[in-house]
This record gives sequence, structure tokens and C-alpha cells, in this order.
Amino acid sequence: MKRYVLNRRKYLWWFGGALFLFFIILAVFSSSIAPYHPRERFEPFVSPSQKHLWGTNDIGNDIFSEFVYGSRVSLLVGLFTGALSTSLGVVIGLIAGFHSGFFDEVLMGLTDVVLMIPRIPLIIVLSAFLRPNMWLLILVMSILWWTSTARVIRSRTMQIRAMSFVESARCLGFSNRHIVFSEVLPNIFMVVIPEFLLTVASAMISETSLSFLGLGDPSLKSWGTMIHFAFQRGGFLNGMWWWYIPPGLGITFFVMSIVFLSFSFEEGEFELKEEVKDVSFNN
Amino acid sequence: MILPTKKVIRYGVALFFIFTMNFFLPRAMPGDPVINLLGEDFVAGKETVEKLREELGLNRPVILQYTGYWRNILHLNLGYSYHFRTRVSTLLLSRLKWTFILVMPSLLLGTLLGAYAGALVGWGEKSWSSTLTFLLFLFIYCAPPFFLSLLFLYLFAFQMDIFPLKGFYTSGHFGDVLRHLFLPISVMTLSSASRNFMVMRGSVLQEKGKSYVWYARAKGRFGKNILFRHVFKNASLPIVTLFALDFGFIFAGALFIEIIFSLNGMGTLIYEAVLARDYPVLQGAFLIITLMVIGANFFADWLYSVIDPRVRQET
Repeated sequence: MKRYVLNRRKYLWWFGGALFLFFIILAVFSSSIAPYHPRERFEPFVSPSQKHLWGTNDIGNDIFSEFVYGSRVSLLVGLFTGALSTSLGVVIGLIAGFHSGFFDEVLMGLTDVVLMIPRIPLIIVLSAFLRPNMWLLILVMSILWWTSTARVIRSRTMQIRAMSFVESARCLGFSNRHIVFSEVLPNIFMVVIPEFLLTVASAMISETSLSFLGLGDPSLKSWGTMIHFAFQRGGFLNGMWWWYIPPGLGITFFVMSIVFLSFSFEEGEFELKEEVKDVSFNN
Repeated sequence: MILPTKKVIRYGVALFFIFTMNFFLPRAMPGDPVINLLGEDFVAGKETVEKLREELGLNRPVILQYTGYWRNILHLNLGYSYHFRTRVSTLLLSRLKWTFILVMPSLLLGTLLGAYAGALVGWGEKSWSSTLTFLLFLFIYCAPPFFLSLLFLYLFAFQMDIFPLKGFYTSGHFGDVLRHLFLPISVMTLSSASRNFMVMRGSVLQEKGKSYVWYARAKGRFGKNILFRHVFKNASLPIVTLFALDFGFIFAGALFIEIIFSLNGMGTLIYEAVLARDYPVLQGAFLIITLMVIGANFFADWLYSVIDPRVRQET
């Protein structure tokens, strides 16, 4: 049984990891992989050929180059939103879980309230008012996306706080700060990673969706922007599938690789829980 | 139906907080608040703008503006759209029903399909068919709804020409409406099912190891009998939570699907309002969606207490 779980984890890990690495390479080495600059102009509406692997769009940009460079936007938005909102969630979850009582009540009440804000509609309203800007989008998403992390971290912290090694540390006279940083924090790390990864995935999907609506940063070419123009400027109705299928599949598989990675961490989490349960059974 | 007062207070606070945010949004944003409140389509001379500033009460103290804002909401007065040339509330209500026609069946079908498939895949031994189902739902789970719609539209309407490309109806017959709605509802059902599938699969995997399952097995029940008689009910609790959380997501998803399929619901309305920078419509739509999400959460809490006796006892 155990070997089976391990094999499965490995397979998830390898598949997700390989796919993820592929997109990372695409994003980091865009300038050497892409044959042209995404804003360089050629003859418009060219079908896929030797010269233009996936043809050109309405203003003559090479679609393959656009695709390669588009991975950068997704990666940037995903990573920054993930890092910011996860940090926020960890801090709030730790405080709420460690100091139960008044702090817990207030912070969890806040979490419930933020959780109920309809995210995408709010961002749409905001981007209609303001000029769309990538950093602003990252900031707004981080402020809205931390809730699930905070909840998970809180319950995990409460679990760990009740464990005996924390109690011994308390008996030995260690300060709260020491306990949080050296006893609790290392133990919630395994829960933080899947949360972080899922936030990254969700932020990437949201960015693509907003860009598809035409609310993306106009100075950047993301995958969503590509689909937006393909849909708006006749790429769809003329059956030019090579214009919008690649960016769509790109975002889907990028997100999929991240979800696979987070699953492989969660399955590891499963194992940990089972081991803990076994110990208590033997007692 | 009795909910804990704590919960009710939280809903009240959430509602109050979001509505207040909506009040401050047009006033805090850069640009002239008159334009922010009326939309970019509103063109007038300087005198008229000043007169309207007076009428909208933008010269009055913020507190008075704020109480006026609540009075307007309670009178269902969400302002006037200069782009669509109607009252925002009438406009929203007329579009809302089409979105409901799209969302409700999809949400129901998606929950059932996702929960059923997820339970089977989580319960059974690993096989080719279960892995394949898992991968299929994972793909749908990871794909943005608008891309899924584009894919479906391209395959079934454009290439195979089985379904119409756009709109709710051409002739208005029941069958005709159904033919138009088939693709958008399938996309939404699948996207809702994929989320339920993921949750249900994980939930069943967790429940599988519990001792009551062993007891049921020891009693002489086996296989799917245990799953559907004992495990399913317990494992479906997270689905109820998901239903509430998903409501906002589903509404946002419907927005994109409506745009792709050119359906005249809330989504296309929001889209047109964004393109025209018609702020009153956007804000009104945001309020309506907020109300809906909070309502769904309320409903889920109630449903939870009906299904799970432990929650009922706590109240």
C-alpha cells in the first residue's frame, strides 16, 4: 500500500515537474526561443508556414513569438500574486490560530467577509475605473486571494499548538515568538506549498480571463490578450484556430502542471497524517 | 431555520462592508466623481455637470451622501444608465433571468455529475477508466471557462455545424431555445462538475479509511453499496460548502460563457458596460452579484444544518 502511494506521488511529481519546467524555460529564455520579437510586423493573416510556425495575426505579429513571450506575463502575475497573498494568509492564519480568542474571532470574521466578495466582478469594476496595470492587478488579487490560505494555516496552527512538543517548549520557558518561528512555522511549511501553488494557478487563470475581456495591461502581450484579439478581430470567425488554440492550451497546461505539483505535495501530506494516526493507535 | 447569531452577524457585516466599498469606489477613483457616477457616455456642458453635481449631492457632506446611498438602494434605485438609456435596476432585472436560465440547470447538473463521478473514482481501485476520467476532469478544471467555450464552439458549432453559433433563440420555440442553450449549458455543467469532482474524489478518499466503512464491510455490505449508503452522505458535506463558494465563481464563469456565445445575460451586459465605461451598470451588477453570493452562502449554511445533525445540535 505504501509503495503504491509513493509511486503515484513520484509519477505526479515527474509529470507536473517536467511540464512546469518546460513553461519556465519558455518564459526565461523567451528571447532566444522566439524567432521574432512579438511586436515585429510582417504580412497580416498568414497561415502557418515554415517562416511563421503558427502564422501571423491581424497586425502581422508572429503568433508563435507572441505565445512564447506570453508565458512571461502568466508566470510573473502568478508568482507575485502567489507570494504576496500566501504571505498575507500565513501571517493572518498564524496569528488567528496561535492566539485563539479575540484575535481569532476578528481575523476569521474578516476572512469570512473577504471570502464573500465576488472577486472577478470586483476586479472588472476596478479595472474599468482605473487604467489596467499588471502591478495593480497583482496587488488587488493578493488582497482578495489570501483567505483560503489563512483558513488552512489557522487550523493547522491550532493542531500543532496542542501537540506535546509545543507544550514542552512552553514549559522550557521559550517565548511565544520563538515557538512560532522555530516550532510552528517549520511544521506548517508542507501545508503552505500546495496553498501557494493553487493560488498561483488561480491568479494565472484570472489574469488570462481579464485580459480576454480586454482589461489586461495594454503594454503587455499575455495569452489572454491574444485570445481577446483573435475573438474580436475575426480570428475566430475565419477559422484561424492557430491564433487562439495555442494560448488557450498554454494556460491550461501551465495551470495543470502547477495543480499536479500541488497534488503531489498534498498526497505527501496524506501520508504524514496517516503516520501520525498510526502512532496514536499504537499508544 | 435557526442559524447561530454569530453567522448572521457575519453575513450582515459582509453585506455592509461590500456595499460601503461600492459607495466609496466611484468617489475614491481618479477622475471627476460626476463622470464616475454617470458613466463616460454622459456628455454635457459645464453648467449641466455642475447642476448634476448638486443633484447627485456630491457637494454635501460624505455622511449625508452615504445615507442617501443606502436610501436609494432600499428603494431599488440604482441610478440611470446613459449608455443603455434606462434605469439600471430594470436593465439588471431583465438580464438576470437569462443568466439564471443558464446558471441554474448547469449548477444542478454539474453538482450531481461531479459528485457522482468523483465518488466513483475516489472509491474504486485504480484503473484505466478512472485515471482517464480523472485526467479529463482535471483538464476541464484547469482550463479557463472562456477557452473551453471557444473550444466547444469551434468544434461543435463551427466545424460540425450541429449547434447555432450565437444567441438564445432564433424562432423562439422551446426546441429552438434548447438547441441554442445546449452548448453553453454543457460547458458550464462540465466546468462546475470538474470542481465538484475534485472535491468529492478527495473527500471520498478521506472517508474511505474511516472505521464506519470497515464496520459496514464487516456487516456484510460491499462495494458500491457501502459507497452510496454510507460514505456518500458524509463525503458530500464539502460539496455543500463548495456550492456556496462556487456561486460567485459560477456567476463570473457565466459572464465569460455568455460573451463567447453572445447570450444576452448579465455577462454581456457587464461586458458592454465595461467597453462603454458605464459605471452605474457595473456597480449595480456588482451589488446584485454580491447579494446573490451572500444569499448562496446563507442557503448553504442552512442546508448544512439540515444534512449534518452535529451542526444542528450546536445551534
